[in-house]
Amino acid sequence: MKGVKKFKIDTKELSQKEKVLFNKLISAAGLIASLYLKQKNNKYPGANFYPHDATKEEIEKAAKTTPAILSPYTFIERDKSGKLIAIPYHLKFKKELKEISKLLKEAASLSQDQNLKAYIRSRAEDLLTDNYDRSNVLWLKTEKSKIGCVIGAFDRYLDKLFFKKRAYMAWVGILDTKQTKEAEKLKSMVLLSERKYLHGAKKAKIPQIKVRVENSAIFSGLIADFMFVGNNLPSSADLYLIKKYGTLFTIFNPTVKLRFEKKIFPIFKIIFGEKFQKKYSKEELYLAFLRSIILHETCHSLMRYEDATIRLQEFFPFFDELYTDILGVKSCGSLMLKDALTQKELETFLIIYICRHLHWLVSVAKQPHLIHYATGGAISLHFLLEGKALKKERDTFQIDFGKLFISLDQLSHALEYYMAIGNYVEAKKFIEKYGSFTIFRRYFSPKLIKISES
Amino acid sequence: MPKKFYLTKKGLEKIEKEYQELKKTRFAKINGESPKIWHSEDVNPEYLSFQEDLNFLESRIAELEYILESVELIKIPPRGKQNIVDLGATVLVEFNGETDEFTIVGTMEADPPNKKISEESPIGQALLGKKVGETVVIKTPIINHSCKITKIKYNII
Repeated sequence: MKGVKKFKIDTKELSQKEKVLFNKLISAAGLIASLYLKQKNNKYPGANFYPHDATKEEIEKAAKTTPAILSPYTFIERDKSGKLIAIPYHLKFKKELKEISKLLKEAASLSQDQNLKAYIRSRAEDLLTDNYDRSNVLWLKTEKSKIGCVIGAFDRYLDKLFFKKRAYMAWVGILDTKQTKEAEKLKSMVLLSERKYLHGAKKAKIPQIKVRVENSAIFSGLIADFMFVGNNLPSSADLYLIKKYGTLFTIFNPTVKLRFEKKIFPIFKIIFGEKFQKKYSKEELYLAFLRSIILHETCHSLMRYEDATIRLQEFFPFFDELYTDILGVKSCGSLMLKDALTQKELETFLIIYICRHLHWLVSVAKQPHLIHYATGGAISLHFLLEGKALKKERDTFQIDFGKLFISLDQLSHALEYYMAIGNYVEAKKFIEKYGSFTIFRRYFSPKLIKISES
Repeated sequence: MPKKFYLTKKGLEKIEKEYQELKKTRFAKINGESPKIWHSEDVNPEYLSFQEDLNFLESRIAELEYILESVELIKIPPRGKQNIVDLGATVLVEFNGETDEFTIVGTMEADPPNKKISEESPIGQALLGKKVGETVVIKTPIINHSCKITKIKYNII
C-alpha cells in the first residue's frame, strides 16, 4: 500500500480485546496515507498546498485579506475568477476523515485504559474540525499507555514555501517499557542543568518533557515517507500548547534499527579506516545512535523561542534540526565530565554525529523532502573540515575528537544566535554561505554512492 | 596505603545496613537445609545454584568489610573553610553555556541522575580545593572547558 510502512510486531502482551482495538487503530492509520499523498508533490516547494503557478508574493498578499490562506489546515486553490481561496482539510477530505473517525470511535469504545480512551475519542472528533488542541492535551497524558497512536495533520516539512501547512501522518505501536525507562534516565540527566540564553531572546519555558519508546506496527503518510526515528509533539508551531502542557517525544524502535543497519553502520564502515573501526564495536555504535536520537528529541524542547518560527519562517527547520543535534553533543560532553558517560561513549557519540549527517546528505538525492536535515549536515561538514576536526587521509577520514568538539561549539554559538534573535535575512545568508553541498560532493559523494542506492 | 572510601553519614548507614542484612542471609543459608551434592551421577543443579549464591554473598560481604575498614566520613568543614570546594559541597557552576548545581561525593555514592558527582570525575577533580569566584579549566583528552564557581554550600549530610 502506497504511503504506508508496516513492521513486524509481537502483540502477545495485548489482551484479545486490546488486539481488536489495536487492529482498528492500524486500519485507521492506513487510511491516512491517501490524504498525505494528495498533499505531497516534490516538484514544487509548496507541494500541493498552493496552486503551482502562484508566487510566494501573491500568496502573502492574498493572506493579508484572507488569513485562512496561510492557515496550517487549508489547501489553497483558485476560484473561477483566478482568486486564491482556502479550502479547509476537513471539508476537502470529508468522506475519508469520517471513515477514519468512525474507526477511532470504535477503537476507543474497546479501551480499558481511560487516558487512551479519552484521547482517541477526542482525536476522532478533532479530525473532523482541524483543531487538534483538545486531543493533543489528552494525548500528552497517554505516555504510560500500552498502546500508542498518533493520527492527524501535524508536521510542516512538506511545505517548503512557508513552512505552515501540516501534513497528515499516523503511527501505531506498543510501549517498550524497558527502553522507555532508559530514555527517561538519559533525558532527565540532560535536563538537570539550565542553559544560558542570549540577551533579548524570548525563551519559551516548557513545563514537562515526556518520552516513550515504541515498537511500531505501522507508519502512514508523512512518517512513512520520512521514516522518522523519533518524533516530538505537539508541533513547534503549537507553542502555546507546549508552554502550557509540555511535550511528549516518541522513539520508534524498528526505524532506529533499520536506519542503523542500512545507513549509519555502512557509512561508518566506508568512511573510516580499518584500524579506527576496530576500536568501536557495532553494539557500542548502536547504543550511541539510540542515545543521539533521545538527546535530539530532548534538546528540541530546550530551545523553544516565542518568535523563532515567525522570524526564521521556512528556514526555521534548518536551524532547529541541526542545533538540536549539536546541543545533544554538548550535553554528552557535560555528562562525560560528570562521569555519567565514559570517554569512549562520548567518542562513539561523536562518530555517530558525523555518520548521521552524512546519512542525510546521502539520502537527500532520492528523498528531496529531507533537504532541512541535509542542509544541516552540509553546514556541519563545512565547520568540521574547516576546523580540521575531520581530515582526509588517503582513502578514509580521520577524526580529531578535541577539534571536533571545538568546531561544534563554535557552530553552536552561531546557531544559538539565529534561533534566539536572528532575523530572516541573516538566516538566509548563513544557509547560503554554509549550506552548499559542494563539500559533500567533493569529498564524500563518490565513496557513499552505494549507500544512496541501497 | 589502602584506598580510602569517602561516604556521607547516610551512605555509611546504607552500607552498614546492607552488611548486616547480608550476614543474616548468609547465617540463614548456612544453617538451613542445604541441597545434597549428588543427584544420580550428575551434580545436583540445586546444589550448584546454592553454592553460587553463597559465593556471591561471601564476596559482597568481603567487599563491604573492606570498605567499612577503610571508610572516612565526609564532614562539614569549619565555617572558615566553607568557601572552598570539598567533599560534600554543593556547588553552583557555570560551564558549557549552562548553569549547573551538584554535590561532590565519594565514588561509591556518585549518582549523576540525582546530582551527585564523583570526586574522581573530571569536573570533581577540577573543582576540589577551589573557591567561589574562581574559574577552573577542566581538561580531558577531548574537552577543555572553563568552569566558574558561583556558589558553594554545605548542607547537613
